[in-house]
Amino acid sequence: MHKQSRTKISGILVIAIALMAFMGTSVNAQDVATGSATATLVVALTVASGAALAFGNVYQGVTKAIANTDAAAGIFNVTGLEDAVLAIYFQLPDYLATATGDDRMVISFSSTDLNIDTTAAGAPAGFVAANGWIDEDPHNVTSSADIGSGGVDLYLGGRVIPSVDQTAGAYTGDIILTVAYTGS
Amino acid sequence: MNRSQKHLSSIAGALRRVSVFLVFTLALSASNLVAGVLVAPTVIFLSSDSRTGRMTLQNLGDTPQEVSVFFSFGLPTSDSLGDVRVRLQDSAVTDPKACLDWVRAFPRRLIMPPNGTQVVRFVANPPRDLADGEYWARIVVKTQDATPNIPEPSGEGQITTKLNMVMQTAVMLKYRHGDVFCELELKGASATFRDQIVEVMIDANNVGNASYLGVLSCQLVDATGREVATKRTQLAVYRDMRRRVMIPIPEGEFVRPFEINLNITSKGRTDIAAEDMLYGNDIEYSAVVE
Repeated sequence: MHKQSRTKISGILVIAIALMAFMGTSVNAQDVATGSATATLVVALTVASGAALAFGNVYQGVTKAIANTDAAAGIFNVTGLEDAVLAIYFQLPDYLATATGDDRMVISFSSTDLNIDTTAAGAPAGFVAANGWIDEDPHNVTSSADIGSGGVDLYLGGRVIPSVDQTAGAYTGDIILTVAYTGS
Repeated sequence: MNRSQKHLSSIAGALRRVSVFLVFTLALSASNLVAGVLVAPTVIFLSSDSRTGRMTLQNLGDTPQEVSVFFSFGLPTSDSLGDVRVRLQDSAVTDPKACLDWVRAFPRRLIMPPNGTQVVRFVANPPRDLADGEYWARIVVKTQDATPNIPEPSGEGQITTKLNMVMQTAVMLKYRHGDVFCELELKGASATFRDQIVEVMIDANNVGNASYLGVLSCQLVDATGREVATKRTQLAVYRDMRRRVMIPIPEGEFVRPFEINLNITSKGRTDIAAEDMLYGNDIEYSAVVE
């Protein structure tokens, strides 16, 4: 279902690009010597979360890791103008905390926990290096990603490290993704 | 206005309506997929003649989104390897071309319902003695689930986790005052061949008082003049820029040495309206790939 929806978006993007090409040209009336009309497509930039990085239930003293190729990896999707180049930054938490703040759990991200899929396939498990950048450092994304026709997907893995006396309960934290065009 | 001009005006109006419709069609098509907010346009232009501007946000998801809009500062800058970054700076900004202290956004915080649309307006109140030139800020649109669902442990002694995915879109705001111009100087360019990839490096310098927005096109040809590959990318030069472009060599019988033809022009940007574009000089350069 997810893949079908992406295919639908890709199709619409193709139509959009075709219309954009049409609208970017001057519209000249052949029987009038002067005057022209132009219209420019309002280009949008969209940053969306396809799925949260999901560790599910964890156990005291047992580290749980999610690989960036795991189905439970976090997925972000960025869509915008093709040929545009993105600057990507993550602000990653050091801890997850309970709602009352009475206990914290360590969370960590390694220097290889990020895959950047320039084909925007939306499937962390099927990612191969030829489709983008593999095993990037989410703390320091050095590669500027070109937006493909379907956008760019980011697959983020990580690990939580509960202590042996970790308080039972629900732990939360924020993963912040910032995206900017480098060409504007 | 004669009949023909009215006809053209109606065509332009229709195209604009189609443009807006298209943006929201794209947005709606994604609405069942993801949680996120669409931001358009991707550059906001203000000037001493028009001190207000607007941006459209749309919630693409089927859950309410908490949105906050604030200003930051960050220009595209490059390192010695030609990688371009945008480092955002929220406080202690000392750049004389920063305008984040005198631009305002309305509203700054809101809750967007599923598939809801919101217009955010901007107004600039520049200081009186502002020198001619272009001034910059980043509009940061921060979005996250308004009602995050924190999973409750299903059993005694269980530990559950929930990570909130927060998204920030940083869009450029440019305020133009007085006479503004941009002019690009190419300080150097080189191209090297390694591991079936041609790496092009350019060093450019903007001597104008406004940013140079354009397109960098690279055409790689072999010794017989046959085109091997092309690459096109958007370019923004505010001051200095070292930019690297990687061009993979496709399968085929190509005769070396290769030659790279570079073209930098401020024409051909499809993401910025012609009336907002500040057209600068064009640069063409050719070099043998080492």
